[in-house]
Amino acid sequence: MDHQNPNSDANYLEVSNLIKWFGDDRAVDNVSFSIPKGHFLTLLGPSGCGKTTTLMSIAGLHSIDSGTIRVGDTIYTSPNQGIFLAPEKRDIGMVFQSYAIWPHMSVAQNVAYPLEIQKLPQDEIDDRVADVLALVGLTDMADKMATQLSGGQQQRASLARAIVGQPKLLLFDEPLSNLDLKLREQMRVELKRIQNDVGITSIYVTHDQAEALVMSDDIIVMSKGKIEQMGGPLEIYSTPVNRYVSNFIGVANLLEGKVAETGSDGSGQIEVDVPGDPIKIGCRFADNFSAGDEVVLSVRPENIHPLREKNGEDVLEGTITSATFLGNYVDCRVDWRGFEWKVISHPRMMLKEGESIYLKFDTSQILAVKP
Amino acid sequence: MQDAVALNPAEQPPSNRLRNRFRAAFTQENVATMAVALVIAVAVILPLIALVISSFLVLDDQGWDTTWGFDNYVTLFTDRVIPKAFLNTLLISSGSTVVATVLGVALAWINARTNCPGRDYLEPYNLIPFFLSPFVGAIAWHNLAAPQTGLLNIWARDYLGIEGHLLNVDTLWGVVWVTGIFFTPLVYLFVVGSLRRMDPSLEDSARTTGAGLFRTTMTVTLPLVMPGILSGAIIVFVTSAGEFGVPFKLSAPYGWETLTTQIFSKAVGDDANHYLGATMSMALGVITVFLIWIQQRYIAPRSFTTVTGKGFRPNVLDLGGWKWVAFGFNISYIMIAVVLPILCLIIVSLHPVWTAKIEFSQMSFINYEKTLFFWQPNSIKAATNGIFNSFILAFIGASLAMVLAIVISYMIHRTKNFGARLLDFLSVVPIGFPGIVLAMGVLVTYIQTPIYATLWILLLGYVTRFFPYGQRNVSSIMLAISEELDQSSRMAGASWFTTLRRITIPLLKPGIFAGWVLMFIIFMRELSISIILYTTGTETLSVGVYYLSNFENEPLTAALSMAQTVVLLACVYLFRKVAGKEALTA
Repeated sequence: MDHQNPNSDANYLEVSNLIKWFGDDRAVDNVSFSIPKGHFLTLLGPSGCGKTTTLMSIAGLHSIDSGTIRVGDTIYTSPNQGIFLAPEKRDIGMVFQSYAIWPHMSVAQNVAYPLEIQKLPQDEIDDRVADVLALVGLTDMADKMATQLSGGQQQRASLARAIVGQPKLLLFDEPLSNLDLKLREQMRVELKRIQNDVGITSIYVTHDQAEALVMSDDIIVMSKGKIEQMGGPLEIYSTPVNRYVSNFIGVANLLEGKVAETGSDGSGQIEVDVPGDPIKIGCRFADNFSAGDEVVLSVRPENIHPLREKNGEDVLEGTITSATFLGNYVDCRVDWRGFEWKVISHPRMMLKEGESIYLKFDTSQILAVKP
Repeated sequence: MQDAVALNPAEQPPSNRLRNRFRAAFTQENVATMAVALVIAVAVILPLIALVISSFLVLDDQGWDTTWGFDNYVTLFTDRVIPKAFLNTLLISSGSTVVATVLGVALAWINARTNCPGRDYLEPYNLIPFFLSPFVGAIAWHNLAAPQTGLLNIWARDYLGIEGHLLNVDTLWGVVWVTGIFFTPLVYLFVVGSLRRMDPSLEDSARTTGAGLFRTTMTVTLPLVMPGILSGAIIVFVTSAGEFGVPFKLSAPYGWETLTTQIFSKAVGDDANHYLGATMSMALGVITVFLIWIQQRYIAPRSFTTVTGKGFRPNVLDLGGWKWVAFGFNISYIMIAVVLPILCLIIVSLHPVWTAKIEFSQMSFINYEKTLFFWQPNSIKAATNGIFNSFILAFIGASLAMVLAIVISYMIHRTKNFGARLLDFLSVVPIGFPGIVLAMGVLVTYIQTPIYATLWILLLGYVTRFFPYGQRNVSSIMLAISEELDQSSRMAGASWFTTLRRITIPLLKPGIFAGWVLMFIIFMRELSISIILYTTGTETLSVGVYYLSNFENEPLTAALSMAQTVVLLACVYLFRKVAGKEALTA
């Protein structure tokens, strides 16, 4: 824990050693992270991975069993010190999965609520509600009852209510999961724009990796209550640390093997685990492996080039078992010694089922990760 | 932020840490939960403990001193009257359960699954007995079918030439009859909801296999709603066993005592013995608690499995010509349970002297003047006091019960700490105890405190016994409201209490008001708690009716009964207005 300079904007939000038990399960198992002021962090993982529990702990809607949560120079929760700040005193805005727009109030009343709680003068409340409704594009809807709004509009109203008080922290609990695909893609961009405009440090929980990649400054991939990896979207995508992350983010070919040789520059040769003659594939290492370590090779389909002619020695020869036309690309499955490669090809190549094909790899884009 | 805390934990003195921990535990929420849980625990548990203790205290022959022992329990079996009273209670409960279940299931089926004409209009009338006082029903039926003076018997003698009598309700069977028809809506309510929401394709598929209407109903429809039928039957059994007014009016005067009439005489009668009364209450309470436990634990949870979410398809069975039979059956029920008794009460109440003969020339409102016009010197105090007291008790009681109901529902569904689980348990317990049993417990607990002989002890008894019904009303709505609506208010900076005031309660408003009216109705007609706990000056409406029936005459009794019935019917109308059609049956 770094208590040297807690006020620094570099670790504005700090969660350290967070543990939460649900019965006999550790829903959150010793999770620690921190983010700078103004950043947009996404907690990403399948349901039951502890991401929502982490968010609820930050919000104060759950108690925690141990660990510390701090924002700026305020400790929110620290059971060891006997500190639990009530949720309403945390100065947090939150957008819920169900939007939680109060049906007995109009849109403007919903949005004005946090300001009324702060006991601001009425004319200031009116101004700020009008401003924030304009920001989310709901000016025309101000006097409508909340129940008259569409899903996307409720979403905007919910966001307006969360940001109107200019909180220290903005929390999102899978806010787009109830929207249809088109609207979801549109709202991703919109949410990110508004968050940029207001500049509030945000934590976003989702199981949708595309959402995470589009919106985040930082992503934390979680599984079974633990952090698997934290990093920027590009880093998470291009250098996943283990099999779980590379499988969860995007599509990857995962081939098991052992380290045969290690190079000095974080690269080496992996002997892959397939029937037939032993074969070594050169790759980058995601970690400090030594010879004999069990690893998994992770290769993204877009880093495999299917060729009709053999071009150089570093190619694998396989047979196309299926070729599915998907409009802008053709999704191919290529059988190579019993291993099925996922490969994408340009539609103009006109690859057909049953054809022989050579797969050429960009070795700098092959990654050996922990199993 | 004023609650910012010094950062380095190591630098904090231990006392500070303790204070922090203390503060963290004493949130508005926790304090309120624990306070309410404590109040409820005391209100519910104390009378039951007192009951248990009293049941082991044996009164000596002089009636002065007590010793510890099992003699009271022995007396239950050796007494001249009590074993028979016990048997009579079992007979009445079993009989009325059969009557109410057969009528209730048949009426529910007619209303929910058939094309019986006018069924939308019939339903509210089928439910009216649920809201009225069975005691008043017994009074009305006494005037309709007492062997000598019953109107129906007189008409039978005059017009049908029958010797003696056609019907006699002044018997055990009369008690079975009146409790049966008055508790029919209990079964109806348990069954009609699941029948209505049942997926009609379940019946359709039985029909396609060649099963006829009768066979489909018997082998598919009824088995599917069996948990509802069983729940309703158990509730009727337990309610009948705890019913005081009907056996008191119809069977006790003619030699058939029941446990409730015996408890009553041990509580206030000439041979008063609170300890023996407590022992009988224990015996009755153990049986009813056991049955309610079975119902809550094993039967109620199953009733959801027969219901599919969809299936609101208005697909009903075509009864053909039989639909007029169904219609006639339903109309007959309404006549017997609602129209005839009320008409009879009106007729009797208009005669200054009732000689079991309708005399239009004699009719006047003198009985209403005597029972209602409290400012007149000839008014009967027991009746006019009763009206005042019942309005006060019903108003304050319903409000108090609903406040408790809201807080308890909130605790059970929104907070997950120990107090919540305790409350969940505590709000089932009173349902298991008949009013007269709980009242006996309240009596022995508080008889030596200043609240005895005041309206407060009645209020305590009422609220303790009936708050669970209000709580259920609120809980069902709270379950339908997303918790996130509350949470988002907390995140917006509102405290727990502000959230309750500005978000939770406004969202619950329809349920709260419906629950309030229901409580008001229950308290307006309450008899079996009041009869144990009242004293001169704290009579209630039903106690007033009891007083008139016991010490005055039938016309006066009928007049006050009618006054109570009119108030209750007005409440029913209000209840339907605010709660909507599906409020009870959903």
